Amino acid sequence: MIDWAAFLVVAAAALVSSAIVVSLYSLGLRLLTTAGRIPMVEPAEFTGAITVLSPARAAKDAKRARKARKANPLTDNQKRLAQYAGYLCFALCGLIVLYGVYLIVPALHR
Amino acid sequence: MDFTLIVALVIALALIFDFTNGFHDTANAMATPIATGAMKPKVAVGVAAVLNLVGAFLSTEVARTVSGGIIKEGDGGIQITPEMIFAGLIGAIVWNLITWLRGLPSSSSHALFGGLIGATIIGVGAQAVAFDVVLAKVILPALIAPITVGIVAYLATRLAYAITRRDAGKPDGRGGFRYAQIFSSSLVALSHGTNDAQKTMGVITLTLIAGGYQAVGSGPQFWVVACCALAIAIGTYTGGWRIILTMGRGLTEIKPAQGFAAETSTAATILASSHLGFALSTTQVASGSVIGSGLGRRGSTVRWGMAGQIALGWLLTLPASAIMGAFAAGLALLGPIGILLDVVIGTVVVYVLFQWSKRDRVSHDNLHDIDDAGHVVKIKKTPRKPSRKDRAKVAL
Repeated sequence: MIDWAAFLVVAAAALVSSAIVVSLYSLGLRLLTTAGRIPMVEPAEFTGAITVLSPARAAKDAKRARKARKANPLTDNQKRLAQYAGYLCFALCGLIVLYGVYLIVPALHR
Repeated sequence: MDFTLIVALVIALALIFDFTNGFHDTANAMATPIATGAMKPKVAVGVAAVLNLVGAFLSTEVARTVSGGIIKEGDGGIQITPEMIFAGLIGAIVWNLITWLRGLPSSSSHALFGGLIGATIIGVGAQAVAFDVVLAKVILPALIAPITVGIVAYLATRLAYAITRRDAGKPDGRGGFRYAQIFSSSLVALSHGTNDAQKTMGVITLTLIAGGYQAVGSGPQFWVVACCALAIAIGTYTGGWRIILTMGRGLTEIKPAQGFAAETSTAATILASSHLGFALSTTQVASGSVIGSGLGRRGSTVRWGMAGQIALGWLLTLPASAIMGAFAAGLALLGPIGILLDVVIGTVVVYVLFQWSKRDRVSHDNLHDIDDAGHVVKIKKTPRKPSRKDRAKVAL
């Protein structure tokens, strides 16, 4: 019959690893946003899922981001700290993804 | 029937199956980044194709299991003939094309197993199929995997939104998840390449071993690996746009944070399962995580009607391809004429399906004009000026 123990292990491993990756990346974004370096990534192509993003709209978003940056209550040092902490989060995230690649390629671990 | 001719036929069919497999499964990795605009559709399928090509060369472990175990296990150790593999492949290819036409993401491996099981029942007898193995290794994982990964994706989405949540009106930088999506979806594509091309390699190697062209217990030869890698890459690049539409927009409206959470859960589940020697269907895992992420974002809705159709497709995959495989096997038992008939009927069916698909063409250039998966409606390219309410919604 089905190996329930193996299945539980798979579910737990998937839950823990994706929670860590998603949390790290989100935290990185949050820290960058806090530091006033708000990542503005426009969609590569206007899709049906995203209602409208005209160039004027994008410019407005960028302006909003600049404004938020100016109105930031943090000191310069705090901002820098948040920014580097954000980069650290992304780096950790990248390392976990590299570990995923390592798991995919058997030549690396056999 | 000349043995070499049937071997050549099986290899050709296996490569066609590999093509439909890539074609069918582009959506697993690339539907969500296309839906959120993380990558342009053509770029996305290109990346997936390259990663599938690379992935196919990286590992031959799964191929060894297929050629050394699963299929023989499936028919209780009785030698499977090339004619049966041939018939099974016809069943699998036809079912893959039917589900593609309906835009349903169904598991290609289930279609392959179904076709082979059906062919074996007709060719050898029902006692040759180990139904308990089928239940434990194919059917039960298919029921449980989408639900568990759905829960994982749901929690991951909630986490992503909770961590990046800010006061209303302040930019939250969630667009930054688009960069992450490029990597997470690539990881899914790579793991797909290392898994799925292998199944075809395994089938071809099995046939070569059965035909006495290759030593028993040896792994796939280099030309087999190269051909399979190429076939799956071309299939991926061609892109099953209908399925991409279903996964990217038919189930729920996906935003970058959701897309990232869904892809990460898919990749994590597949990596964990294949690392622990537990084969799960990429398609089912990916669909489950899209639904989970749809439930995870406040204010988003999951189209349960579409989810139900997909689930029905999964349930039908095994029996339907088994019936078609059995039919093809019945003809193949007639001898050379039967095989010829199989080839002719298969070609006609594939031709008819392709003609059918032209009635409502779905491709990378009209992907976003289509209003709802399954219903092809042209809408205006330039959208109306957004209302205040719409503009509020844009704030990801």
